[in-house]
Amino acid sequence: MPQTRTISFTLNGRPVNAEIEAHHTVVELLQERFALFGARESCGQGLCGCCTVKVDGEAVSGCLYLASFVDGASVDTIEGMATSGGLDPIQEAFIEAGAFQCGFCTSGFILMTQRLLEEHPDPTPDKIKSYLSGNLCRCGTYPEIIKAVQLASSKRRASKAAA
Amino acid sequence: MIPFELSEPDTFAEAVSLLDPEDPTIRPIAGGTALMLMMKSNVFSPSRLVSLRGVETRYSEVDLTPEGGIRAGALARLGTLERHAGIVGAFPVLADTLRILSNVRVRNVATVGGNLAHADPHMDLPPVLLALDASVTAISPSGQRMIPIGDLFAGYYETSLAPDELIGELSVPAQNGRVSAYIKCTTRSAHDWPALGVAVSLDIAEGTIVDARVVVSAAVEKPTRMQDAEIALKGASVSEAAFRAAGEAAAVAADVISDVRGSAPYKRQLIRVNVARALAKATSSGGMGS
Ligand SMILES: Cc1cc2nc3c(=O)[nH]c(=O)nc-3n(C[C@H](O)[C@H](O)[C@H](O)COP(=O)(O)OP(=O)(O)OC[C@H]3O[C@@H](n4cnc5c(N)ncnc54)[C@H](O)[C@@H]3O)c2cc1C
Ligand code: FES
Ligand code: FES
Repeated sequence: MPQTRTISFTLNGRPVNAEIEAHHTVVELLQERFALFGARESCGQGLCGCCTVKVDGEAVSGCLYLASFVDGASVDTIEGMATSGGLDPIQEAFIEAGAFQCGFCTSGFILMTQRLLEEHPDPTPDKIKSYLSGNLCRCGTYPEIIKAVQLASSKRRASKAAA
Repeated sequence: MIPFELSEPDTFAEAVSLLDPEDPTIRPIAGGTALMLMMKSNVFSPSRLVSLRGVETRYSEVDLTPEGGIRAGALARLGTLERHAGIVGAFPVLADTLRILSNVRVRNVATVGGNLAHADPHMDLPPVLLALDASVTAISPSGQRMIPIGDLFAGYYETSLAPDELIGELSVPAQNGRVSAYIKCTTRSAHDWPALGVAVSLDIAEGTIVDARVVVSAAVEKPTRMQDAEIALKGASVSEAAFRAAGEAAAVAADVISDVRGSAPYKRQLIRVNVARALAKATSSGGMGS
């Protein structure tokens, strides 16, 4: 019998519990126990970023991360980004720049952009490319993604200045 | 993935005691980035994994020592090394290498110990650490021993660690003005595994090379110091001619493997050119300060 265990963690700001098996990944945890499909498995090898989630504030690949390892941690997914006040400025920027076609890669790019802008509020195009080099977009919307990141950066700076 | 059991000890000593030298299906797991790939592709199906993630926090810390070297616990993340201000300043070659190692998410999770124990000859840190003359402390039920990086790698995906021995920490000595550089040579896409890695470190006094370390990886079975190239450099003046002679010596001596990233003759040519380039890179401003 596979060993099951109960883990407790914070999911998008809410304390939750889940019963899992030791070999489950974070993608399986989110999809099967919480019906959250924003993080999805595509390459399954850490290369494409479609499964990006944040664990204790750091971006990780949910496809390569054991669910057991988020016990006690804080997990943030794309589903937690918008507030009752509306979309996050990064989400708005991706829409305004038309930075997707099918949208499969978008949740990963948006979460990575959030971390990028926390670390580098005004990134150069080279910084954007190297930071996002582990995210792939099969529809090839890279030029629009770079524009979206720049737009998100100026939106964030403007809202900081206004605050 | 095939189900397995997971143990999560609180101390390093307990983790060591949970390994079984007779049972290769029990393995330690740190970041899990390499193991998950092997388990997902059924290359490896463990019966039990022993997670090192809950052990004492000092095994996750990275410090510059008073002498100017690095002490990094085995559980330290590659991203922690990359962002450590002291390392960026004193070991620019490490910061440069980490920036091109995989992607942000992998570096946030992958650990120093997992990186070294995996012993994939295409990896980027092992040749650099060999050029920097680093060593690891290994811990087993019978005690603790120091292993120079050059002796840690025994072959293709093979280390000299005993089955019940773990890497506890990495030490990199102060470089005392030595200069160094790494070149990762990919032949298909920028994110592919390299066909060749070259790491060099030079001790230079008044324009003369006093001592050289030249390491070749990826094209060979394990990161390897190229002694003929090192001898060619010793006592030579810093010059394009000396760098070319070293490249030639390394290309002749290396035991090169053909694979999908290039034939052996092609990789030999890559060695010839890139050893000289790495030496030039180390002696330009890019390698200074390390
Ligand atoms: C998408 C992707 C891209 C990559 N690109 C690169 C790249 O460009 N360059 C590069 O160099 N590497 C690259 N890697 C490899 C990466 O560096 C390794 O996967 C990582 O360093 C392994 O560390 P870990 O902590 O995740 O190890 P784990 O997966 O936890 O363990 C790896 C191995 O080490 C053993 N182990 C772990 N810790 C210890 C310890 N303390 N003592 C003894 N044994 C131990 C485990 O049992 C296992 O055999 C890439 C990986 C991925 C997933
Ligand atoms: S599915 Fe995880 S990185 Fe591609
Ligand atoms: S929008 Fe289709 S994969 Fe990026």
